Amino acid sequence: MSLGSLIPVGPELLLFTTAVVVILLGAFGARRAAGPLTMVGFVAAFAATFFIPEGAFVFNDQYEQDALAIFAKQLFIGSAAISLLGSMTMTHRAFRDRSAEYHFALAVSVLGMSVLVSARELILLFVGFELMSIPLFLLTGFIKRDPVAPEAALKFFLVGTASSAIIVYGMSFVYGVTGTTTIDAIPQALAAGHPLMMLGMALLLAGIGFKIAAFPFHMWAPDTYEAATTPFVAWLSVAPKAAGFVALIRLFVEGVGEASLFWMPAVSVLAGMTMVIGNLMAIPQQNIKRMLAYSGIAHIGYMLLGLAAFSTSGIAMMLFYLVAYMFGNMGAFLVVETIAQSEKSEGMEAYRGLAQRSPLLALSMLIFLLSLGGIPFVAGFWAKLYIFWAAIERGMYGLVFLGALLTVVALYYYLLVARRMYIEAPDKPEPVPVSAPLRFGILICLVGVVGMGAYPGPWVTLAQRVASTLFS
Amino acid sequence: MAELPILSIMTWSPFVAALIVMFFARHRPLLVRWVSLIGATVSLVASLWVYCAYDYDAAGFQFHEEFSLVPSLGISYLLAVDGISILMCLLTSIIIFAGVFASWTVKQRSQEFYALLLLLVTGVYGVFVSLDLFIFFLFYEIAVLPMYLLIGIWGSTGEVRPQGIFGWAFGRTGVGTKEYAAMKLTLYLLFGSAFILVGILALYVAGGSQTFSFLAFEQMEFDPTLQSWVFLAFYIGFGILAAIWPFHTWSPDGHAAAPTAVSMLHAGVLMKLGAYGVVRLGMGLLPEATVEWVWLVGAIACINIVYGALSAMAQTDLKYVIAYSSVSHMGVVMLGAATLTASGLNGSVFQMFAHGIMTGLFFALVGLVYEKTHSREIYKMGGFGTMMPGIATAFTIGGLSSLGLPATAGFVAEFLTFLGAWESNYSWWLFPAVFGAFLTSIYVLRVAGQIFWGPKSTDPHFQHLPDAQGTEWAALGILVFVLVLFGVAPSIAIGPIDTATGPLLQRLLGQ
Repeated sequence: MSLGSLIPVGPELLLFTTAVVVILLGAFGARRAAGPLTMVGFVAAFAATFFIPEGAFVFNDQYEQDALAIFAKQLFIGSAAISLLGSMTMTHRAFRDRSAEYHFALAVSVLGMSVLVSARELILLFVGFELMSIPLFLLTGFIKRDPVAPEAALKFFLVGTASSAIIVYGMSFVYGVTGTTTIDAIPQALAAGHPLMMLGMALLLAGIGFKIAAFPFHMWAPDTYEAATTPFVAWLSVAPKAAGFVALIRLFVEGVGEASLFWMPAVSVLAGMTMVIGNLMAIPQQNIKRMLAYSGIAHIGYMLLGLAAFSTSGIAMMLFYLVAYMFGNMGAFLVVETIAQSEKSEGMEAYRGLAQRSPLLALSMLIFLLSLGGIPFVAGFWAKLYIFWAAIERGMYGLVFLGALLTVVALYYYLLVARRMYIEAPDKPEPVPVSAPLRFGILICLVGVVGMGAYPGPWVTLAQRVASTLFS
Repeated sequence: MAELPILSIMTWSPFVAALIVMFFARHRPLLVRWVSLIGATVSLVASLWVYCAYDYDAAGFQFHEEFSLVPSLGISYLLAVDGISILMCLLTSIIIFAGVFASWTVKQRSQEFYALLLLLVTGVYGVFVSLDLFIFFLFYEIAVLPMYLLIGIWGSTGEVRPQGIFGWAFGRTGVGTKEYAAMKLTLYLLFGSAFILVGILALYVAGGSQTFSFLAFEQMEFDPTLQSWVFLAFYIGFGILAAIWPFHTWSPDGHAAAPTAVSMLHAGVLMKLGAYGVVRLGMGLLPEATVEWVWLVGAIACINIVYGALSAMAQTDLKYVIAYSSVSHMGVVMLGAATLTASGLNGSVFQMFAHGIMTGLFFALVGLVYEKTHSREIYKMGGFGTMMPGIATAFTIGGLSSLGLPATAGFVAEFLTFLGAWESNYSWWLFPAVFGAFLTSIYVLRVAGQIFWGPKSTDPHFQHLPDAQGTEWAALGILVFVLVLFGVAPSIAIGPIDTATGPLLQRLLGQ
């Protein structure tokens, strides 16, 4: 086995190496190096994704690096790197003492996601899921002396393991019908329409629904977001959900063709309910992280709408939405972290008069929120528009209309933050200090949001190319 | 000179001015004002030039500008104007020109104020000149969004608290405060734009020819059921901006809370955007559905006229009176469009213009009165005519136009509309419309009499009030001049309007 044959799994190897080196260094006391080292590892792994030969199969064809897998890996690693920028300046004691563990868990979780999106085999898929999820539970409860963190971690853990159990249960039915654990056997079995097969797939849908926090499996998200550290939450709100969506695509869409429309009613209902619940529950929130948690649930609903179209453009627009959501949401969370570091508060009052204290920071936050709200000239507008477009092509006028109305609800709670920042007077005059890594992270998100808004073409082309391979 | 992109110059010059103001004029309030004024002047000159150079005999859309933006989706930057849009652009340019003068005294954060105001104007121009529906929608959103900050930061909270049996409940929601008004206005209008977006996308998908061009859509025959619901979507979506009943309640709150120039622009021009949208997209693209739904449009317009006038009568806050009178007058606009007659449609478009100038004048005056008296309560004021004769005269001229006195623009508009209503299939529309005009004369004359011509108020604050000064005259002078000019010589406007409404009617009734 030559070294060249390892290139297709280069990113995974680099992530694994990073994780091992970081935890070993931690054991020998070099904790301060953990953050920068992980960053180097992520950047290297991100670069390595560009060298993967597209469509490569390894490990007896059980591991595939197709366009979707590479796209997803870039999303995971890129968002993890942005999250790292946020956590570099965290001053909490837990970070000083257990920095190695934090970064180890983060790297392992990214590794789990990377395995998950490449798996062509149910058991490997499940292993990927667990490898991704277990570090997430640890990271949620990372500040263990904080009374809310263990509670949130426990809640997340119970919901997460229950959903894993449901996934495995579903897989057992699929195995029972197909007699094999390879994913390639699913389309054929679905076409045959065996009732047990349908039961198994329904269970899989429910189980993955937990992971992406779709209604009615969304309850864990707000508590988890509120308790966990903000840079981690920024990443948690994007990457694991993207992973869940890729798993849904692998199981329900890829190679299935028109038969996948069987799931359209179920996914449509799920999408509609998730949009409604997420948007309505976000309104009364006074903690900005909880507000973003519920708004994130609503965004999952919009992405599900793209999935519900079960068409090339639907999937493509969902992927586009994921990228737009990543930039907008992570940017907003990084601003939240900045404010939290300076004001020691995650409440809405902390934003009073921000426009007069730090105009650029306030403008960034406004742009992120407007992007999340779907306003023209920033990324979120195109994302919503394309999703609606794809859905209208399938004739889902009702859901599109509902989604369009709910964007108004969403703008209400986003504008409440804008009101604090722009209309109300500040409590104190001095500007909010922004540390260099955070500044850089916010800048990256800003460039992403504005760039995608001004010039969405290349991203659309990329998403369409990725999606088109699934239907061929 | 034929290739000069005059429409782009008109549309983007306020935007360029906004950028300059934002980046180069920090802490230099006078520079902010002069740059804004230059931006507004450039667009005014451009719109006048377009108005004069428009070829009436050729009619149709002229001054085409086009380049492809997103070829794969068929989105292109396609601009052109016809007889209706040139008049609307002229209206916009006059109002913003006057508006820059009217806000000369804004002190708090004036840099941001002017930048947002000019940004808003770019959106308004863009809507009137774009023929690509996608670009149209983008401009529409630019015209709506800056409102939130403009009202929220620079607005004023009314003094008249909610009363009556629901007073407590209204008080709880913060009704009457600028924050409430800003949020209400923004959400209502975005709610409307959701309808518009779905309608546009539905047409695009149904058309199936990978284009958003208005001209291409005009050639298509859409399925009647699709037409029917898309028309309703456009009617509700744009109608909210045109303050159709029962979606009008954002407008009094919003206009009363907004700062002077924003009220002028919003009531004067933005509400016309709604009516323009209904006429251009609804009636222009969906002829069968228009004929099917005019009864609804006309009936609701009648409710608007009477309900708006009655509500205006009941107000004790001066700004709310003007705001409700806009609701009533927008009813006249919608009624004229619904008549589907030549005179009705011409009256409708003429009323868009006349009401724009008139309400702009009113809000400028209310702003001046408020600045000098710090009061908007009608029944506390009185006899100001002797102290501020200029303001009093301008208010009276505006009021006479509002109630439709001959030799003012308002008369021409209302006369044509009433004529159209009588000629239409629903002649009974005439009665609520005329009744509304009668009610208008009651509330306008009562307000003018109380504030300016009645017995002098005994309030010690109101004993020595200055008249308008300096730049303030500029805003009043321009608006009064235009109001009378178009009343005396309405053919200046009727000419171009006719070139656009004629073919539209032919298309509607030719079915």
